[in-house]
Amino acid sequence: MDKLKPQFLERAIYSREELCGDYFILWIWDEELGKKCQPGQFFEIRAHYSIENAEETRSLPKLFKPISIYDNAEGRIGFFIKKVGYGTNALSKLKAGDLLELIGPLGNGFPIVSGKKILLVSGGIGYPPLWYLQKRLIKHNLIYWVHGGSNQCDVFPCDEVWTEDGSLGKMGMVTEGVRSLIMEKKINLIYSCGPIPMLKECARIALELEIEHYCSLEAYMACGIGVCYGCAVPIGNTEDWNYLRVCKEGPVFNAKEVLWNRM
Amino acid sequence: MEQNVSQIYTSLGRLTLNSPVTIASGTFALENLDFMAQDYLGAYVCKTITRYPKKGNPPPRLFETEAGLLNSIGLQNPGLDKFINDDLPILRETLTTPLIVSFSGSSLNEFKLMLESLEQNEGIDGYELNVSCPNVENEGIAFGVDPEIVYKLCALLAPLTNRELIIKLSPNVTDIAVIAKAAEDGGATSISLINTIWGMAIDIQSGKSMLKKGIGGYSGIGIKPLALALTYRAAKAVDIPIIAMGGIYSWQDALEFFWAGASAVALGTANFIDPLAVPKVYEGIDNFLRERNCTLNEIIGKCEV
Repeated sequence: MDKLKPQFLERAIYSREELCGDYFILWIWDEELGKKCQPGQFFEIRAHYSIENAEETRSLPKLFKPISIYDNAEGRIGFFIKKVGYGTNALSKLKAGDLLELIGPLGNGFPIVSGKKILLVSGGIGYPPLWYLQKRLIKHNLIYWVHGGSNQCDVFPCDEVWTEDGSLGKMGMVTEGVRSLIMEKKINLIYSCGPIPMLKECARIALELEIEHYCSLEAYMACGIGVCYGCAVPIGNTEDWNYLRVCKEGPVFNAKEVLWNRM
Repeated sequence: MEQNVSQIYTSLGRLTLNSPVTIASGTFALENLDFMAQDYLGAYVCKTITRYPKKGNPPPRLFETEAGLLNSIGLQNPGLDKFINDDLPILRETLTTPLIVSFSGSSLNEFKLMLESLEQNEGIDGYELNVSCPNVENEGIAFGVDPEIVYKLCALLAPLTNRELIIKLSPNVTDIAVIAKAAEDGGATSISLINTIWGMAIDIQSGKSMLKKGIGGYSGIGIKPLALALTYRAAKAVDIPIIAMGGIYSWQDALEFFWAGASAVALGTANFIDPLAVPKVYEGIDNFLRERNCTLNEIIGKCEV
């Protein structure tokens, strides 16, 4: 199938959900758009505003922010967002009925498999894309999901929770339990999303135990559509590698092809 | 009812453009045409090509500031051969608007060799010599800041082509007028300016620079007044046409640059801010000219001080 072209759209926010701490979810509803989305893909999104009105609103035009698809129930598409900077702060002020600008769906999703014993590993705001992924995988695979965060505000529903401060679940880094989980649950495939040190540690363990591992990477982006090369990450092997674009060749990569020491 | 037909075409040295709106190298690719018709583009300027493939700079390569964008991409590109063999046929197939090939060499001779290779290929309407990328050490920028080298480069390449020969100048110079004049004297048929300005951002908690390379190129809305001043100065110094860029987001921005002396404008960072920036700027200029019942030429360089 030819890759579907991304679209530039404006959609009203259908509803908004508050979560703990700096997290919130924006929902839109577009059945046609929903049919084009795959787990692991993302949208470039932004609170609506126009360059022409920048003068009046005293707001300087800003870039879109890449946000992965958290959920897609026949077009009820969710963006699970953490307030971290200007862009996500502007998004955090939106309410139902406000307009969202979107470009997408963008990037390549996770490989969809069946008959596997899967470990999902997420950290902090790495949680959302795995939610959409597990919904797609759950009927045909065995899944165990472990998630970590710095404190109890950074954890969300899953099978096993870790917090750095011990405020919820096990205390420590989520990666501490990965090796024993792989053995115990006879895991043969890992999907991960989260901070680079977490992904890197997962990749090290998976490589050592020879487990297939796909990770979704995050990067600062300007365009999101493959033009600017701002989001490039080193992919290949130590002799032959190149900077590939998280937005175009990613955001999902085979973890053994990521040159973690150059990240 | 009398219908006002605006004349929105514009001329470079050898090319006539159907639109005065073009794009800054590296900020627009065929992917953008998923969102807009190419008819709005006066010319398509490709991402800068170097003789050999370039991996580019280590990440992070981007940071968005209060007013504009910092980048340190480092001219990542597949190299001249791959461009000619793989990219050029696709561009030729897809584009109906003129194609300007942006390229950069590390020596006068390398610029010459690259131009000679490109000359052997059909479907190229002009060149933009990138002598001003701030993200490549000991290349590019060293050329762009020295009027004597700019003159030599243009004088070396001009006799070798009948295509548009644009040289893209750096704002990181003492006097843009001297450099622009050197380009004109050397035989450049038009000038584009400005490339990005040196810029930096630092995380106050960790003290680490936001770009891996520390200093990068600053573009976008914050550099507009500077770009406008340099356009004005360069336009006063030379007779060859100027393609102006630097923080142009809206049609109002574009008009300022025409008044200052630009024959065409290019959008860069604006393409990231709004996938429809090019058509919006085009429509805005068109409406403005229709309402005043005048042509673009009646505005270009007519700024009064």
